[in-house]
Amino acid sequence: MADFYTLGLTYWRVIALTVLVLGVWIYGIYFNFKKWGMGSTGYQDELRHSFWLFIATWIHQAFKDGVWVFVKTFVLDVLLLRRTLRRSPMRWVMHITIFYGFVTLAALSGIGLLLDTVIHFNLLGYAHQAEVIFDMMALPFDIFGYMLLFGATIGVARRVFLREVRARTSAYDVVLLGGVFLITITGFYAQWMRGNSFLVGDVFAYPIYAPHFALIHTILALALFAIILPWSKYMHVIAAPLTILANRGGE
Amino acid sequence: MADAGNEKKPLVSGFLMSTQFMELDGCTRCQECMKWCPTFDVRQDRPGITPMYKIAKFRELLGSQYGLRAKLFGPKPLNEDEIDIWKDDTYMCTTCGVCGTVCESGINTVELWEAMRPNMVARGNGPYGKQSFFPGLLGKDRNPFQAKQSERLCWVPDDATVLESSEIAYFAGCTAAYRQQALAVASVRLMNALDIPFCMLGEDEWCCSSALVRTGQRDVMRDHAVHNVDALKDRGVKTVLYACAGCQRTATIDWPRWYEGYIPYKNIPLSFYLRDKIRSGEVEWKRPLNFKVTYHDPCHNGRHLMHVNGRDVAFEAPRDILKSIPGVQFEDMARSREFQRCCGAGGGVKAGIPDLALDCAKARMGDAELVAADVITSTCPFCRRNIMDGRAAMEGCDVKVLDVVEMMTAAMGLDITIPDNPYMQFQEQDVLVCDEDVCKVETIERKAEGKDLVGEAH
Repeated sequence: MADFYTLGLTYWRVIALTVLVLGVWIYGIYFNFKKWGMGSTGYQDELRHSFWLFIATWIHQAFKDGVWVFVKTFVLDVLLLRRTLRRSPMRWVMHITIFYGFVTLAALSGIGLLLDTVIHFNLLGYAHQAEVIFDMMALPFDIFGYMLLFGATIGVARRVFLREVRARTSAYDVVLLGGVFLITITGFYAQWMRGNSFLVGDVFAYPIYAPHFALIHTILALALFAIILPWSKYMHVIAAPLTILANRGGE
Repeated sequence: MADAGNEKKPLVSGFLMSTQFMELDGCTRCQECMKWCPTFDVRQDRPGITPMYKIAKFRELLGSQYGLRAKLFGPKPLNEDEIDIWKDDTYMCTTCGVCGTVCESGINTVELWEAMRPNMVARGNGPYGKQSFFPGLLGKDRNPFQAKQSERLCWVPDDATVLESSEIAYFAGCTAAYRQQALAVASVRLMNALDIPFCMLGEDEWCCSSALVRTGQRDVMRDHAVHNVDALKDRGVKTVLYACAGCQRTATIDWPRWYEGYIPYKNIPLSFYLRDKIRSGEVEWKRPLNFKVTYHDPCHNGRHLMHVNGRDVAFEAPRDILKSIPGVQFEDMARSREFQRCCGAGGGVKAGIPDLALDCAKARMGDAELVAADVITSTCPFCRRNIMDGRAAMEGCDVKVLDVVEMMTAAMGLDITIPDNPYMQFQEQDVLVCDEDVCKVETIERKAEGKDLVGEAH
């Protein structure tokens, strides 16, 4: 694990980078919510230009039909993507694998950083246990990584092989899908370079440069998360679920 | 070309709710809406008219004025030619709502389009073509046909009973009152035959103003909504029956937004009310209607109201009536219920962009031909008007266009002859002509010269 700290990176620099990224991300979300707050709180109501009134309007809309409808919408339409399944099972598989692959990998990365902190400071004397858990996370990383790769591959294949979809593919879509695909591939490649990898063994083994590639992958992922997501079409990752909830699933 | 007067005008977005700004960012560009959009289906060379592109353009414009770059370096100058194209794209939409039905992000597209248009009107870019006549016509005449309000009930047969006030009201709508009077006569005959006591507003019935809401011209709307609601309340009405999908949609969703007091009545489609009468055994069929019939779901009381009234009221009631009529062989078209293909008349398209409305109508008539229907029925006079126009523009198409209420009236053996009145020369519709046992469909051609100034009003 200590292999990760390469090219002058130290634990503290990674922490600082993480805080910076989270800060940019939070500001990006605030910026978007404030932009949305330019609208009114109701039909023909006056404009307020307020971050908080956007939040209030969203809560009012989302809970208009009661808590039960909100919960049902959250489970069926946000977590299980019911509306996508109704329209296209293939797109549903693509979205569900990308969504759960990405979210789980992000969560695992967060846990990894937490464990790294425990190891670094030997918090409560649990450094050894933390290292054991960290090693155990390799399998879920692989499983959800392949899940994400599967979804991203469907996404790219649709854009490449389906004529109508290809014809209407814009730069937005290329950056969006290309970004996800690039991050996934670099993540895998970094793992494969370490050697003795799940499914591919030592075919791509090149351990000396594995940490460098892992770093490239991490920087790409953080850039996507903080620098691109709130300021681009990636915002739909946040806006689409919020829209579904505000419109009570559109049902 | 750009209107010089619009230069340096800021982008107007204030008619959007804040959650609608969010919806613009919620589009995943899945392209599903493009598969279903009825206007794009007949204008494949203009992808800009599809929801995905309209949303992307609006988002881009907003981004250029209020995005991060604009915050750091100032907003970009607006390109008026681009805005004009975007305005055209936004108005080349019937607001049918099928895009919302299939949207994976659950975007409420009808509300979004109707919130985008007033911004264009406020900025001086909208509305489109003859749609701009609506506020003047309604403000002056209270109907879009330049007809006299005092003659609203000129078609009521002498032997029909219409009360001054009652707990049940029949809101006929402008088209049934002035242009498709067979529907109005049939509705009154039916309710009399079924002993349903009802009143009508007469000259107090003002246009529902659907056209104003759909085209983003909200100024006269309040007067009409408040006037109609008050007129119904004054008569002690508890239930309002509609044989016009557009009026029903507007009365159910739009009027309450403009009326500040309590509204004590329910809005119910006449077809739903009549189905109950059939189910309770009160309807006696007198003659069969030996036609192969299909049903076109109007957007306004189908998709627009299915979340308010439920699918049964929105989609099944009219079908159940048709299936109950002896002799009728019913078959649905490939696209039906919430996935129905819009006839093309709505959203002000019939008045503003009639050639687009016509092409959509031809496509819908093509759907009816595919099931080899003799008759395509509906519960919307505007759909009926436009589908008939579509038929006229097709070669060799002989599918007739009727209203469900008229079919039921004829099958009950009731007389649906329109009494002589000042608007006879403006009548233009297919009608059922029946003898003792057999009915056939005849087409009444308009005798008055010229066309109505704005065609239809929804």
